[in-house]
Amino acid sequence: MERRVVITAESAITPIGHGKKDIINNLINGVSGVKNLKNEDNVLSKYLHSNVFGVIDYDIAYEFPRKFTKTLGPVSFYACQVAKEVIEQAGLTQEQLSSGRIGVAYGSTHGSPSVQRNIYEAFFDPTRKGYTKINATDYLKSMVHTTAVNITRMFGITGRVISSCTACTTASQSIGYGYESIKFGMQDAMICGAADEYDTTTIAVFDNLLACSTAYNDRPHLTPRPFDVKRDGLVVGEGAGALLLEELEHAKKRNATILAEVIGFSCCNNGGDLILPNAEGVKSTIKTGLDTARINPVDVDFISAHATATKVGDIVEAQAINAEYGKGPLVTGLKSYIGHTMSSCGVLEVIFTLYMMHDNIIVPTLNLDEVDPRCDIINHTRALQESEINIASIHNFAFGGVNTSLFIKKWK
Amino acid sequence: MTREQIVASIVKLLEEEFEIVNPDLDANLTEKYEFDSIDAIALLEHVEDIIAAPLTQAEKKEAMEIRTINQICDFIDGIMEKRNKSR
Repeated sequence: MERRVVITAESAITPIGHGKKDIINNLINGVSGVKNLKNEDNVLSKYLHSNVFGVIDYDIAYEFPRKFTKTLGPVSFYACQVAKEVIEQAGLTQEQLSSGRIGVAYGSTHGSPSVQRNIYEAFFDPTRKGYTKINATDYLKSMVHTTAVNITRMFGITGRVISSCTACTTASQSIGYGYESIKFGMQDAMICGAADEYDTTTIAVFDNLLACSTAYNDRPHLTPRPFDVKRDGLVVGEGAGALLLEELEHAKKRNATILAEVIGFSCCNNGGDLILPNAEGVKSTIKTGLDTARINPVDVDFISAHATATKVGDIVEAQAINAEYGKGPLVTGLKSYIGHTMSSCGVLEVIFTLYMMHDNIIVPTLNLDEVDPRCDIINHTRALQESEINIASIHNFAFGGVNTSLFIKKWK
Repeated sequence: MTREQIVASIVKLLEEEFEIVNPDLDANLTEKYEFDSIDAIALLEHVEDIIAAPLTQAEKKEAMEIRTINQICDFIDGIMEKRNKSR
């Protein structure tokens, strides 16, 4: 019998709030989480042209004992907090978590850059303090899979670990591979998601490639502007999200609340340029995703576009959506509210879509004042509307030509 | 440093950096306070700060046999005496 995969818990820490109440309120009211850079480092910030960031500027009450915090960099604090909330929301027991049938698919773009700086300080100046000094826990806090294994450690999880590290497709791959792990019988549940901490080096990467928004430094809330004729690039952000994916019968057996069903996932590579988006690659990803979900394009009501607000990227995505879907489903660029939260964008966009699905609304793309004619070939959400989302697709694309599409279905 | 000063430094350090308060100086740190290998390496970093000098690899390996706070203090005592004698 084919195994079905449902979502039974969610948690998000984002530039527009922590938890559904704040997030949905800010989505409905068109509140942006984009602000100016929150702290001035004395090294890199002065060279950046972009001064905007999707900022988490509120306190989070972590209650982790020291035996766990000693291996947490900032990114893992975020990751463990959302994992904790998902576990609590789902009501999973320690016996279940340590059964070997629950795993973790969680990642980040590059671990913890702020902690990596400690290591590089020793690398470049081994004579500081008179002797070489790399702290015992620096590597554990900063390694690329730090989020996933701090989650397994904190919660005693002994199932499989997948720690994807594909920048903007990290979370969507985590969800997709978690979905496949359950669907094909390897696990009964997976905690899936990704996190990225505040980091100006990420801005520098895109700034150097002329891909960052720089024209709205004095009006941060007006950027990014996906699909808008005056868009001028992406805004980097920080955030974390987690979903509990679970095999349907496993969820029913423990009377779990089912939030939605994951019905399809695809991941295809452009097989070429590592930076430039590719419409054929995106089209292929959409087609493959629709096949895995066993649905037709007409069945999709809503698309959360990747839509980072770069000049080329938005056009390419619009072309691909038009080619596969025509002007059918409503399309929103959710990064317009929070910026591009890098590895976590996929899970946050799924969670925002879940919220809309449950409340029967679709929020518009923020800052979409005038649609670029080259993007005006799809059905943009221009205003908040009451609308049922039965099936949604979430797109994410990453450097390296990695493309993903996820399909989730309303649970009735 | 006197023995009393060493003990006071270590007890303060354990409280501030490791959240171990009013410890039993002869208790097994791992069994009683969940002090693990990561904590041991971190503690040695602080010991280097206390003695204001790096520990050799041999000294660090020797320190891996330590199990109690009194043994930590004995270790520091021994290192400082050895360093003083070699001057």
